[in-house]
Amino acid sequence: MGIRGLNRLVAENAPKAIRSNEMKSFFGRKIAIDASMCLYQFLIAVRQQDGSSLTNDAGHTTSHLMGFFYRTIRMVGYGIKPCYVFDGKPPVMKGGELEKRLKRRQDAEEKATKAKEAGEAQELQKFQRRTVRVTREQNEEAKHLLRLMGIPYVEAPCEAESQCAELAKAGNVYGAASEDMDTLCYQPTVLLRNVTAAESRKLKIDQYDIKEVLKGFDMTIEEFVDMCILLGCDYCETIRGVGPVTATKLIRKYKSLEKIVDAIKQDPKSKFKVPDNWPYKEARELFLHPEVKPGSEINLKWEEPDVEGLVQFMVKENGFSEQRIRDGAAKLKKALKGGTQGRLDGFFKVSGSVSSGKKRTASDSKDKKKKRKTGRSRR
Amino acid sequence: MLEGKFESASLMKRLVEAIKDSVKLCNFNCSQTKGITLQAIDDSRVLLISLKLDPGCFEGFRCDKNLVLGLDLESLSKVLKQGNNEDYLTLIAEDAPDNLLVVFEDPKKDRISEFSLKLMDIDSDVLSIEDMDHDCSITLPSSDFAKVARDMRTLSESLQILVTKDSVKFMASGPIGTGSVIIKAHTDLKDGKESIKIDLNKSVNVTFGAKYLNDIVKASTLAETVTIKLTNKIPALFEFKLQGGYLRYYLAPKFDEDEE
Repeated sequence: MGIRGLNRLVAENAPKAIRSNEMKSFFGRKIAIDASMCLYQFLIAVRQQDGSSLTNDAGHTTSHLMGFFYRTIRMVGYGIKPCYVFDGKPPVMKGGELEKRLKRRQDAEEKATKAKEAGEAQELQKFQRRTVRVTREQNEEAKHLLRLMGIPYVEAPCEAESQCAELAKAGNVYGAASEDMDTLCYQPTVLLRNVTAAESRKLKIDQYDIKEVLKGFDMTIEEFVDMCILLGCDYCETIRGVGPVTATKLIRKYKSLEKIVDAIKQDPKSKFKVPDNWPYKEARELFLHPEVKPGSEINLKWEEPDVEGLVQFMVKENGFSEQRIRDGAAKLKKALKGGTQGRLDGFFKVSGSVSSGKKRTASDSKDKKKKRKTGRSRR
Repeated sequence: MLEGKFESASLMKRLVEAIKDSVKLCNFNCSQTKGITLQAIDDSRVLLISLKLDPGCFEGFRCDKNLVLGLDLESLSKVLKQGNNEDYLTLIAEDAPDNLLVVFEDPKKDRISEFSLKLMDIDSDVLSIEDMDHDCSITLPSSDFAKVARDMRTLSESLQILVTKDSVKFMASGPIGTGSVIIKAHTDLKDGKESIKIDLNKSVNVTFGAKYLNDIVKASTLAETVTIKLTNKIPALFEFKLQGGYLRYYLAPKFDEDEE
């Protein structure tokens, strides 16, 4: 999952593209969230003290409901309007990756059983978390919960991330939220990370601006996608021995995967070996032209929560505390009222920047420079 | 070298108190021709502050080289609180400064207090604000506006403003009930500053976050009147005129999704 090392690479090559902001500064923004990833996150992370997942009386897991309910309310509390996007069918190309994941899960299951027999509680927890998989029912439950909360969701024809990006591109939402750096390849105007992270982790939201990313790398989107494929994506294997540094170098030199492949094949001394039948072209196609529902056909609407419905579902069926659910619903209601706060960004354009630091660096004499340094360190 | 001397410290004291709750770090731009200007936007990007202090605002003003002073308003406020309102206040900075020197002189007691404030490295975006034609312009005593904004906030987080030909209606509705205040245009012959003037091209119905309005009215100590320029669905302008300058706030309105 995700593209190896891309985060660091972006930070090095396009530091301007990343901004960290408090969650509250995103208020009034609509954000498309990769729900399938959230499901995993919640199932893995939302646990009881002893490490087992939350369950209702019947023994069904309710970790995901807890996660969706509270994290959504937290966002709404900050004035953010979330909309969730669920995965459709996985692209055929992802088969290999999915198989790997299945295998990993089976491994983990075996190890978990062993750990259980050996009575190693910590090991057991670790592997149990790895065995997590999202069932169809859990998907449906999450959707049902969102409907009751009045939060819109979209069912993507294919991958949720690409649909999130499409919503951002089409202007339905401000940005796409995903932890997966892959999402950048689908060119959402803005990629947000850590949106659904636990509050207790106190993480700021990292905002990636795709235009600035490309500017920083000085690449076209095609080159960027090619680079990501070299780094390793979900759709195909990589060329052994090519890491982030080499990948950037190769793309800068040859500009496209076709030429890189040719160059490697023509050079008998090349230490790299291109995998047989490497489906990089198909992978690139998936990134550049993913199967999505056009944003213009989607109408996102945030509605009043169905309080009684929520009580029925969350309290009666799934054993949550009635008071908490009602409080949460009240928060949802409150946030919906009174309209959305507009932002100045849309009206005034940034025409430049002023920096009190640079001005001072611009001056020349040496002893002043010394002073300046001490000045800065005193900050 | 920058040297700006104010006849009284009260202007700067009030200014910083007015804006320090909206923005924390800002760059003060200093130049011989323009005096001191400042543009700052709050973290949520809803409220923009634009300040202009012409050289005429000062008793003496000299700025040999354009300077950008990065200041933490919280710290500046602490320092400014050390001086009395009637003191002379002088701001001094070198050409490539690490510090801003703040000097108060008590003219009666011959007391001089001097503070050196560390400067910050701040990068800030500059937004270009074009002159907009507004649908209506209201000028009223700033204290009146402050009272409405503060009172209505107790009812609701939003304040709706309805402007028709000769009246302005402020409305709030919240969990405990609703409230409205209507003010009508009138001319006070004895004291012109008490007059309420409404110029209208088109009736306006806008809603603002009460929190932001409450931040704005903190500036009502700076000017006796405030001019509010409103247009549906675009940012409103609140202007407090200073002697030889202005303090302007641009505030993005709230809007209902469904109206779009």
